[in-house]
Amino acid sequence: MKLRHSIPIILVVLYGVVPLLLQHNNYIMSILVASLTIAGIALAWSLLGNLGGMVSFGHAAFFGVGSYTSAILTMKMGVPVFPAILFGGIGAAIASIAVLPALRLAGPYFALAILAYANIFRILATEFTSLTGGAGGLLGIPLFPELFGFNFGSKLGSYLIITSIVLIFAVIYRMIRTSYHGFALLAMIEGEDSTRVVGVNSTFLKAMMLFLSAFMTGIIGAFNAHYINFLEPDYAFSGVWTMIPIVAAIFGGYRTLTGPIIGAIVVYTVDQLIFKALIPSGHQIILGALLTLMILFAPDGLIPLFSKKLSWARRVKENRSPQTGHIC
Amino acid sequence: MLTLNNITVQFGGLIALKGVTFTIRDEEVLGLVGPNGAGKTTLFNVISGLTRPTGGEAIFNKINILNSPMHKRARVGIGRTFQIPQPLQELTVRQNLQVAQRFGTGKVNQDKIEEILNFLHLEDKADRDAVSSLSLSELKALEVGKALATEPQLLLLDEVLAGLETASKRAFMKTLSELNSKYRISILIIEHDIETISNMCPRVCVLNYGQIIADGTPKEVFSDPEVIKSYTGGAHD
Repeated sequence: MKLRHSIPIILVVLYGVVPLLLQHNNYIMSILVASLTIAGIALAWSLLGNLGGMVSFGHAAFFGVGSYTSAILTMKMGVPVFPAILFGGIGAAIASIAVLPALRLAGPYFALAILAYANIFRILATEFTSLTGGAGGLLGIPLFPELFGFNFGSKLGSYLIITSIVLIFAVIYRMIRTSYHGFALLAMIEGEDSTRVVGVNSTFLKAMMLFLSAFMTGIIGAFNAHYINFLEPDYAFSGVWTMIPIVAAIFGGYRTLTGPIIGAIVVYTVDQLIFKALIPSGHQIILGALLTLMILFAPDGLIPLFSKKLSWARRVKENRSPQTGHIC
Repeated sequence: MLTLNNITVQFGGLIALKGVTFTIRDEEVLGLVGPNGAGKTTLFNVISGLTRPTGGEAIFNKINILNSPMHKRARVGIGRTFQIPQPLQELTVRQNLQVAQRFGTGKVNQDKIEEILNFLHLEDKADRDAVSSLSLSELKALEVGKALATEPQLLLLDEVLAGLETASKRAFMKTLSELNSKYRISILIIEHDIETISNMCPRVCVLNYGQIIADGTPKEVFSDPEVIKSYTGGAHD
């Protein structure tokens, strides 16, 4: 079944079945919200990696800037939560301008440069005490408000918000991926000169992907700030916000649209519900081993692996059918 | 159309082009020949924006283009092919042309895409993956197609016939000879095969050690003693 045919089913499951069955189970809802938070970052990271051709080790910077921007706007300037989340994304996109000089770098050099930027932002958040609360952080960040009689600050409300954000990101990703700009971006990864010679401004397109990826990550950071209603630099700019989404995207298949989302949900829920129960302390070791196996045996990720198996099974079935008919 | 004045390119201690000066007129087909390492592809790189020259100027339609980035030169009407075909990866043949047209001209005209596909005999392969399903001659045709899709006024063809076996070469040559009359564009073509160049180009420039050593009709140029010397290796004896 093609993805577009599954969309109504996916929507019914996400907005109907899951809330109906799980809304009273706070633990599961927390895991779902956390896994979708990672899915959002994983999708933003994949957009930059798949379409921009850049591997980033610094998305924690955009996550942190987005979360602080939204928190400060709501706490110190009285901006309502939902517009503040949007500004969180814009703040992260503006912060990514600082990364623009690194676009000239390729491969590991870009990855290292952006990692350094993440640390710079963490230090800034720690030192700007008057604005960010310094190392002590910000307490009492406003929760999501009640709108139309529905409390978006509840676990269910937060789940619905993050689900909607991730779905919107997926739609944006797909629209870009299937546009001429997306075609050019994909082609650029293998040979930039071959695109520039037909008029593609590759530097501009890469910069746009960086801004968009930063914007998306900032939105997720801002969402998270209002979800947990507490921030400190070591948490908001933690390398975890970079590493776990990368693991999830690679696990699911970062070159596909659904790979990073499914990868994040599978990786995080399996880790929290199964591996944590088996090894309460240091359960991430299984995740590490799994990722190593994936890279060795299915480097394209889980989704392409399933697609290949599925098309293989279909071919086998098609080859068998006429024979069976003949025998009968 | 395009005038090169005193173009010089130096890579460290190596002078790749030294004071190259010539003009290509509207709708002219000009052949560029010379021994290996003469600087022909470097000259194409300078015109298309891949290599920044050390000195000189390149006037295209009355504008000095040397400070324009590569993508802007494509948009003002300079199209080029690469010696080793560089199809846009992960795209079909048609998508390759669409991307080239979209970014080269700012719009997509499906009729023109079909026309290019038919002209280059790629219509049967239009919806196949460009990298995995094309033969070398088809890849070379796609390379020309991408450049044509940008609607160039000047087309730089870098050894488009190299590596093709005789039958494909002959068929592709026929297509190339129709390019100029059909699209009414100027063509600067690098080719090693003297017979091909003589048949296609009313005018030929010979480059040797980064300098133009002859400019004229094929007959004049290929009977020039200095040109013969450059090909037999005696130019710098």
